Amino acid sequence: MYSILKPCNTSAAFEAIPRDRFSLDLDLCEEILGNDCTIVTNAGILLIVNDRCEVSIHKDGRLILKTDSKDLAAEQAARIAGWLEGSPAIRKHRNRGNAGRTDPAAGK
Amino acid sequence: MAKLVSLISGGIDSPVAAYLMLRRGVELVAVHMDNRPFTDEKNLNKTLSLVRHLQNLTQSPIRTYVVPHGPNHIAFARNCQRHLHCLFCRRMMYRIAERIAQKEQAAGILTGESLGQVASQTLQNLMVENQVVSVPVIRPLIGLDKVEIIDIARKIGTYEISTLPGLCCTIVPKKPSTAARAKDLHDEEQKIDLGALIKKSLEGMYVLDPEAL
Repeated sequence: MYSILKPCNTSAAFEAIPRDRFSLDLDLCEEILGNDCTIVTNAGILLIVNDRCEVSIHKDGRLILKTDSKDLAAEQAARIAGWLEGSPAIRKHRNRGNAGRTDPAAGK
Repeated sequence: MAKLVSLISGGIDSPVAAYLMLRRGVELVAVHMDNRPFTDEKNLNKTLSLVRHLQNLTQSPIRTYVVPHGPNHIAFARNCQRHLHCLFCRRMMYRIAERIAQKEQAAGILTGESLGQVASQTLQNLMVENQVVSVPVIRPLIGLDKVEIIDIARKIGTYEISTLPGLCCTIVPKKPSTAARAKDLHDEEQKIDLGALIKKSLEGMYVLDPEAL
């Protein structure tokens, strides 16, 4: 579901980019993820949760994973994807093709 | 001796601005707006390291205020136009810095802004940011470009600290306004209780004395 990338040189985080274009209902995400994660805040345009690491979840599906470890970032992105995939919180966009940058060597 | 309230982040520019004023004999009080959870604790740690470095470099004691700014971001994000977010953020920082300037009997606010460096630093946006405070906003880097600022940062030893890992603000809009109108900002800010947010920010802030750094 996600490709894992380093957002910038000085950042202590990784960014997970959705392979397919979709949007998220963050209020529903809060409900779903609240079962397994600590909700840090729901700012309406951005949901922040804490699980294995802190994650900022954007409406367009991008994740900012606050960890120095790429392995942990990939694992955390996979956990989020597992909880959300197939749920009503995800609204897939039709006929838009691949939205994200791809990094075939990395991520899940 | 003149005193200024220096808005200082963990980035490259604001410590350079602070240094330029310190070397002119200005006394500084540092104010760090803590953007967590939209950044991480590394930014706060970097800021405190930078203030400590500036203190040692200039032999000037600097009292540091750390102000929680995350709840302000949430209020703006939930209630106001998205593309103006950085303007709301900066206007709020100025308002809070002005309150601290009054408390500290400081003559103005010092920032590391330089013209055109990011979307919030156009002339139009700087003008509408100034409008929310009555004290002068001093911007010693306004005419410098990034290379010139980095050169100074390297010379004074802040560059290495500023470029340590730290998460950039994650609530910045994709297309921030570069030419905000004062009326639009004012109208949007009417949707939230600014006074209550400022009060809460000031109640939540804490102060680190120079020797505590």
